[in-house]
Amino acid sequence: MVKVLDERNFVVDASRERVWRLIGKVIFSSLPGMERMEILDENNFRSLLITRVMGAQVTLKLKGEMMDVEPPDSFSVKLFLEGPGGMFKADQKVSFAMTPIDATKTRVACKAVMEQMGLLPGLLLTSQARSFARSTFEAIEKRLKELA
Amino acid sequence: MRVQVPAKWDLEYDVVVVGWGSAGTAAAVTAHDQGAKVLILEKMANGGGNTSVCGGNIIIPKGKEFIEYLDTLSFKTTEREIIETFVEYALKNADWIREMGADVQAFRPLEVAYPTMIAGAGFPRVRGAETAVKYNIKGTPEEGKPSQRLWKFLSGLVDKRGIKVLTGTPAKELIPNAEGEVIGVAAEKEGKKIYIKARKAVILTCGGYENDPRMKWDYLPVKPAMFLGTPGNTGDGIRMVQKVGGDLWHMTRLSCLIGFKVPEFEAAFWVAFLSEGFIFTDKYGRRFVNEAGIEIHEYYQELSHFDVEKMEFPRVPLWAIFDEQTRRRGPLSRGTAGYNRDLYSWSLDNTAEIAKGWILQGKTVAELASRISVEPKVLEETLSRFNQNCKAGKDEFGRAREDLRPLEPPFYAIQLWPALINTQGGPRRDKGSRVLDPEGKPIPRLYAAGELGSIWGYLYQGACNIGEALVFGRIAGKNAAAQPPWV
Repeated sequence: MVKVLDERNFVVDASRERVWRLIGKVIFSSLPGMERMEILDENNFRSLLITRVMGAQVTLKLKGEMMDVEPPDSFSVKLFLEGPGGMFKADQKVSFAMTPIDATKTRVACKAVMEQMGLLPGLLLTSQARSFARSTFEAIEKRLKELA
Repeated sequence: MRVQVPAKWDLEYDVVVVGWGSAGTAAAVTAHDQGAKVLILEKMANGGGNTSVCGGNIIIPKGKEFIEYLDTLSFKTTEREIIETFVEYALKNADWIREMGADVQAFRPLEVAYPTMIAGAGFPRVRGAETAVKYNIKGTPEEGKPSQRLWKFLSGLVDKRGIKVLTGTPAKELIPNAEGEVIGVAAEKEGKKIYIKARKAVILTCGGYENDPRMKWDYLPVKPAMFLGTPGNTGDGIRMVQKVGGDLWHMTRLSCLIGFKVPEFEAAFWVAFLSEGFIFTDKYGRRFVNEAGIEIHEYYQELSHFDVEKMEFPRVPLWAIFDEQTRRRGPLSRGTAGYNRDLYSWSLDNTAEIAKGWILQGKTVAELASRISVEPKVLEETLSRFNQNCKAGKDEFGRAREDLRPLEPPFYAIQLWPALINTQGGPRRDKGSRVLDPEGKPIPRLYAAGELGSIWGYLYQGACNIGEALVFGRIAGKNAAAQPPWV
């Protein structure tokens, strides 16, 4: 079942092309716990994501696939997350759409959805996933606005 | 001295193709499909050359304005009619690939690494740049890296047709007759010389001279330069053509990244950074460039500065200095391309390479400086200035704000060299892939395609080498097969 984790819309004082140029780097720099990133073929990567789940530091295995890349309009990242020892698995899709308001302003729409997760982990971890998505989107918004 | 026409030929074919990469495949398949009996000679144990270890992208322009773009990039080193021919055929590269049974997908990377792989034009301000579009062979990572998918597709075309390939068989000399027509090839098989008659033509597609130290020293603008691709490219085709009176062009041209080199590996490792926490310095610890702003194939432009007082290239080798976050972010050497890709697995957090001493470490700038034999004061000043630039959001070398992050201890350094993806020089040719002599006359029955004398005579647009190999390989194959037999 698809569950929306977070949605966020904001305006950046930059052209859509400039936002497109920034967003890839901004996403990765907004995930400070991302380590050992291995680029598989430019659209696919694997890495570890060191984060906190229910107060404890947890190392998640992360596999990402860039999808529906339509420069400079939109793209999505499909994320496959796996907890320690395969304790839980989750599929998320994070989408970004850039719409020009005028030559110097761009609306950025971010949306994270949970596509698949087991029942028990879903109950236990959905709020963590929501909070992670929210804080990541906040960090992306802040950084994009700083750089614009 | 020219090789004499042998009294007896060991093998006889219509068309002999020397070198088995993209250009050799396109030439062999096209000639075969036109009815010619084709032989491919490959000096290495396996085919693929640079094709099987490159980025795997193919240029397929989306309009004829690409001619203007390439014409500007060529800086008048390539006749416009050759560029026009290239674009005419390159527009049909996808059709050809589909006709041959595969499909393409657009290459649209997220630009997260330094140097940055970009989807389109390397020189976006040039007229016609918007028509530069890169594709690769459709597939998933499970089906291989883009270059592996490309080579699987191309080698499959040769296999399917039953075209004869002799691997481990370097061509040594072209055999001309009294009229100057190239009528065969002398090659070496298991230590023995063999003579192969080419009833129609010979097509040279055996790459450049990335692994020929003397040619590199003679011709390239930056010295020394390592190589990232196949060690098989040792300038053989250039020497063969010179012996039969061929002219050369584009000999000083190159596609050049940065790489790390150790003696135990023939090729260098392609190095890229997955975080903005790094700088480059010359061998004395001084920054010299916007590290994030160099076009990925044109590193030599920055590295070829020559100090006439010290009589040296102060940026060769250069140092990359980086911090803990960059070290932990991901491997410095990319596993997607390069000859070493399948020979060594770089550790994901770079710790194995620190243990080997490939990456040097210092808790302080002074400690790192002493480990890389740089004056500590100079490196301290360099880093302090860079960190100030980051905080101010304005860099003296023009590095963009999004590419700036102060470096924090501990610090790391890796020594880097200019590293060739390929050279572009070789026999001068015309729009029909015919090899020309110094007077501009075609050498009868001799063709060339691919990186051996490519048409890229000045600046290089990414993905054009594979695009060009497929285009002029097809043209060479078609024209060679159309030749009347000389016997």
